[in-house]
Amino acid sequence: MKYRIHTVFVLSLLLLCSAFGAAEPGGNGDSIQDMQCGGACHGDASINETSGAILTLSSPATIYVGIPTTLTLSVTNIDTSTTRLVGLFLLTDMTGHADTPQDAGWEILSDVNGGVMNYIEQTLDSGQNETSISWVIRASTLGTTTFHAAIHHGGGYSTPFFGTTATGVEVIVESVPENLPRLVADFTPPTLRALDTPTELNIQTQFTDSMQFEWKSEDGLITNSPVNSTGNNSWTTTIPAALQPTTVQWRVILEGVGPEQTTPWFTLAAEENSWEVAENAVYLQAFALLFMTAGIVIALQTRFISDSRTSDNSAKKYGGEQV
Amino acid sequence: MISSGTFHVVTTELVVGAFSVAGLSFTLCLLIHLDILKQPSWSTMLDHVAHFTLAFGLVATPFAILSGLSSAPGEGLNSPILVNKMFFSMTGFGFALGCLLARWRLGNKVWSTTKSIALHGASGLAASGSMLLTASAGGTFARGESLLDIFHLPYEHVFLFPVLISAIALLLGMTMLVLGWKRMNDSSTVH
Repeated sequence: MKYRIHTVFVLSLLLLCSAFGAAEPGGNGDSIQDMQCGGACHGDASINETSGAILTLSSPATIYVGIPTTLTLSVTNIDTSTTRLVGLFLLTDMTGHADTPQDAGWEILSDVNGGVMNYIEQTLDSGQNETSISWVIRASTLGTTTFHAAIHHGGGYSTPFFGTTATGVEVIVESVPENLPRLVADFTPPTLRALDTPTELNIQTQFTDSMQFEWKSEDGLITNSPVNSTGNNSWTTTIPAALQPTTVQWRVILEGVGPEQTTPWFTLAAEENSWEVAENAVYLQAFALLFMTAGIVIALQTRFISDSRTSDNSAKKYGGEQV
Repeated sequence: MISSGTFHVVTTELVVGAFSVAGLSFTLCLLIHLDILKQPSWSTMLDHVAHFTLAFGLVATPFAILSGLSSAPGEGLNSPILVNKMFFSMTGFGFALGCLLARWRLGNKVWSTTKSIALHGASGLAASGSMLLTASAGGTFARGESLLDIFHLPYEHVFLFPVLISAIALLLGMTMLVLGWKRMNDSSTVH
């Protein structure tokens, strides 16, 4: 009876401990995610709480098909866990399934962390309770889309929090006016670059007579770089090398017969060169470790057994007592 | 068709679960055979559980390794954590293989002397420990955190031998395995 009580007590303790492992307090990393990602772990009504964060999504007044545009999400009144980590979603409906911008025919060209993801994680500074991030997106078809944003984060006592924008932002995609200076429809900005190497950008445009190039570092200082024409509506420019992992943002101002156009800020992150190793050496060493450990265990085991048998036989032979 | 990422989750849960039970059983076996835990009647049951779960984990391990390699982002071994995962899992595989082969060919004699008990229990525990370290490294790689972070393990550093040393170690290990196997067979037929 006593053991049963102990067993029940230990099992109950283990079940209670499971609450401390709720969700993933270290985050998931930036990725393409439906709302279900936050809704599953942070949206379960039985274990979650509604986030007190206020989310405001905004978009430009006019959006043209095939032309990059910026959606900005401002979040205030954030109260997070000790990790200060928040996850932010850009969504096109609130069903929890197939609700990413890609599902609605939009393309994410750039996110604030130097990727092309609709789910972004940010670690806030101590005392920081608001943030603002943006996505550069591009519509492939005419029509109306309603965008939403969501947030999930931790809180006290490992409670997961989940919140969404109060109302969606409706954007209407219009056809492009004639002669509007613009980037070519299939232009894809780079999002990553290596350290210690200047980045040369080749930019293709349409209906453009001249182009200005601006880039800004994380401190917000805007710098102009010279632009060279390499042909009709073809331009090249260079962003100086980054000496450490950091992000810069760049945009171009296009002039032509039509009205002047300024592209959104595209984010370009610098990262260290990818880690490399001689894979054959790794596989060889891995198999060496396998055979060495198995061989040592078996060799020692047989030795210990035969030693004990020898000592047993010796003891019998000389009339000693067996151990 | 399920993705390799999902398959990796399934296989790693099988491996970690099996090796965790094996580790617990080996610990209790050690305590019983060293007369620290006075429950001799549990001995046979724990011995069976320890070796069955170790064998089960061993069968699932290659699937976990292969699915892990194919589900990792990028191409090949592009992170020191992946390399350390490979080393830990293969080391654990070796310990488990040696432990199971010894138990299979030598039977209950592995629990007959203090040295043999210590070696057999230690090899089972080392197999479990290596697999749990592998899982911990996986957590660090995928989520940036794991339960064993409290030990500040240096997953970012890789201890890579020169190819020649690895080749010699591989030959030496295979030789020891073959010789040990022959000695075990001789030993198991002499009664």
